[in-house]
Amino acid sequence: MRIGSLAIYEQLKRAVQEDINEISEKNTMLFTGKKINKPSDDPVGAVRAIDYRVSIQQSEQYKSNMMGAGIFMSVADKAFTASADVLDKLINLADKGVNGDTSENRNQFSLEAAGYRDVLHSMANTKFGGRHIFSGFKTDQQAFTFNAATNTYDYNGDLGLINVQIDKGMTIAQNVPGSNVFSFGLGASMSSVLSDGTTVSYTAALNPVNGVNTITIEIGNAGDPNHDTFSVSNVMDVANTISYAWKFQEVDGNALDASAAISKEKGLHRMDALSALADTARTKILGTQSEVGGRGVVLNDQIARTDQNILNWENARAKTEDADINQVFVELKQAEVALEALRSSSANVLSRSLFDYLK
Amino acid sequence: MSLSGLFHIGRSGLLSSQSALTIVNNNIANVNTPGYSRQEIILELSSPVRSGGMLVGTGVTVAGIRRHYDRFIQTQILGQNQNQGRSLSLDKAYGEIEQVFNEAQNLGMSKSMSDFFNAWQEIATNPEGQPQRTLLLQKASSLVRNAQSVEQGMTDTLKHMNEEIGSITAQINDLASQLAKLNDAIIRAEAGQQSATAIDLRDQRDVVLNDLGNLVDMTSYENSDGSVTVSIGMQNLVSGVNTNPFEKRLQSDGAYDFYQNGINVTGNISKGQLGGFISAQQDITANPLTDFRKFIASVVKEVNLLHQSGFGIDGSTGNDFFNGLQITTRDSSAGADVTSASITNLSQVTLDEYYITFDAGSNYTVTNAQSGATVTSGAYVSGNPISFDGIDMTINGAVTANDSFFVSPLTEAVRNFGVSVTDYRQIAAASSAAGVPGDGSNANAIGQLTEAGISDLGDSFNNFYRTIVAYTGSAAATASDGLTFENNLSSTLNSRRDAVSGVNLDEEAINLVKFQRSYEAGARLIRVADELMQTILQL
Repeated sequence: MRIGSLAIYEQLKRAVQEDINEISEKNTMLFTGKKINKPSDDPVGAVRAIDYRVSIQQSEQYKSNMMGAGIFMSVADKAFTASADVLDKLINLADKGVNGDTSENRNQFSLEAAGYRDVLHSMANTKFGGRHIFSGFKTDQQAFTFNAATNTYDYNGDLGLINVQIDKGMTIAQNVPGSNVFSFGLGASMSSVLSDGTTVSYTAALNPVNGVNTITIEIGNAGDPNHDTFSVSNVMDVANTISYAWKFQEVDGNALDASAAISKEKGLHRMDALSALADTARTKILGTQSEVGGRGVVLNDQIARTDQNILNWENARAKTEDADINQVFVELKQAEVALEALRSSSANVLSRSLFDYLK
Repeated sequence: MSLSGLFHIGRSGLLSSQSALTIVNNNIANVNTPGYSRQEIILELSSPVRSGGMLVGTGVTVAGIRRHYDRFIQTQILGQNQNQGRSLSLDKAYGEIEQVFNEAQNLGMSKSMSDFFNAWQEIATNPEGQPQRTLLLQKASSLVRNAQSVEQGMTDTLKHMNEEIGSITAQINDLASQLAKLNDAIIRAEAGQQSATAIDLRDQRDVVLNDLGNLVDMTSYENSDGSVTVSIGMQNLVSGVNTNPFEKRLQSDGAYDFYQNGINVTGNISKGQLGGFISAQQDITANPLTDFRKFIASVVKEVNLLHQSGFGIDGSTGNDFFNGLQITTRDSSAGADVTSASITNLSQVTLDEYYITFDAGSNYTVTNAQSGATVTSGAYVSGNPISFDGIDMTINGAVTANDSFFVSPLTEAVRNFGVSVTDYRQIAAASSAAGVPGDGSNANAIGQLTEAGISDLGDSFNNFYRTIVAYTGSAAATASDGLTFENNLSSTLNSRRDAVSGVNLDEEAINLVKFQRSYEAGARLIRVADELMQTILQL
């Protein structure tokens, strides 16, 4: 085939341009560390890399959610431990009354019970990060407040569960509504006898709106002089009632009866009846603690799984879009050698002309 | 033969060598001229004379100049230039568009989307937290800015293409007048000749034709007078020495239509740079741009629907999180106007675009612009709202058959995209009721939208967006591969053309020596004749 002089120049120009393009591409790869620098470099790989990155960002968010929930739950866990300890002490204190310990230290015991009541109140109103963690969704309000009109503790929260996303389509509640832990999990009713043989019945009434179980306690039989009926709806009420019972008083400070003897008997009965109830409450708190602990285990497992997922996706992302620096470097060198060879051969071709010999 | 005949033969040798050297020089001078066809002198015997009963030669004459030219290859090059022009435009357009969706540095839309929905999850874990709520507003603003910059990138590309189209149209008209002038010159030069003798002019015309072919989809043929007729969409652009202006007219959708002799030839232009730009504009508008607007409109719709149902910590409810979607209309009616168009029920909006068309009996039909399916129809009453898919439109005035209105909830979706909530307390994280600051269930629901299948998109947000990126990436890769292929093909064809028409300097050097020697020999012949003449005269 005939070759025109212009064709030789054009071909050399194209070849040099192609080699320089190749070198530029490899340089970009070395500069960015990526083999996909724009979607058209590898459309499938580019969108796969997006997918991996989105999954990594998503999983990091799940991990952050789980870490936050874990701290939230560990704060609750400490409140449960402290509350269960206090209830233990309260039960012991009530048992002193049941055992007939009616020394002149009654006032002291009353104060001690009041102290436990305040600790329980403080635990039930635990605040973390400016949020009341046992108020359900109403985190801006104290879970339990003292109602001076009724001399009982009211639950101000609701049954809201703060669910956080821990994986695709998977949520976990980070809180426990206060009514589900500091109130009681008693069935509809329960009957028993006190240590002196007096009958006692506990009747529960559940408020479905806020989950508060109000327990009405009836000691003795109607018509008996020592017949007594009162109600409590949470552990603070129990501690408060025990505190006043040590003074043989109603929670409003009035004597339990006009007769001092009956007042004393009623007070001792109340302590006896409430000791059992406090035990139920303690069991409930420990049960809840164990349930929240279970959630913590799930969280820890999930965090480990998420970490593994992030690692896997990061590896897959790197394989998809990161350049193999060694290989790119070798390819760059190859392209440079090819360009050098082309330059050298071009110099030969371009310098050869018949005109050079016609002198 | 007389002694003076020797002078005549010597002169013919000198003159023909001179002519040959001129042609060789011309070839050498044009070695780098694009489109130049190598020329070669055609020598033949002068008519012999009878002398002493014999026929004796009288030297050499120049019979003509041969243009080394292959019409078949030239036709192929002209066609190939049109393909190459198209590929060039597609590569430019998609190369620009894919940069808009470049996620390689992890700064693109997918990061903004993840950040936005993750910020909702942050709120879900701490619904009353002001920092989390403020962060969400920041991430939402960042999403808005990013989305608007992506759309801006696409509309800028479309604008750049319009600018290129303007320049191409001017070039087409300029080349058309050059062709007409060359036609005129060729007709004049070849008038009365049997063959195509205006070879330099024809080379120039081929170059202009090639340039024109690179710009626009056209056909050309040569007439008997040597002129070429050039047509675009069966309408003559150049006919003999006359040209007809090629025009562009801006349409209401922002794109150009093209007219030759007053006839719309847009549909006939698929090749050349212009054909590439038309095709890229149509594709980018119909696919990545519309899809992206739909994607953002869908984010607005889904987030707003959930947000409206939730409660802020200030007790507010029913608020939009993003600015509400707006309906835009385009009117193709002389007697009727749209007086209002609005969304009446966001949950029913399907994020499709529509045409409302009218027949001779003033009945209207609403069709889905993308699928072509009929959405609803009825009798038109001026001023009565036409309702479909959660949209109410009121048209006033007299309609005539074939009047149409384009209705879209997408056109302004990105331009109007903005965060409507300004007070962090209005962020509706709660779903149960007002006054429950710890309720993050609505925030959780919004956060989970990122994984959910969105019926209007037929996929999740992430997957739908990935599809747009994959589309632009594949289109850019195809365009780039296409351009490489067309360049290679052009190069092959040009090599084949060069094999016939290209100048080779070595060949020319040989010819130079050859004709130099024959010139020297001719001169020597005259000297010999002169010496012979001297000999006779000295007798």
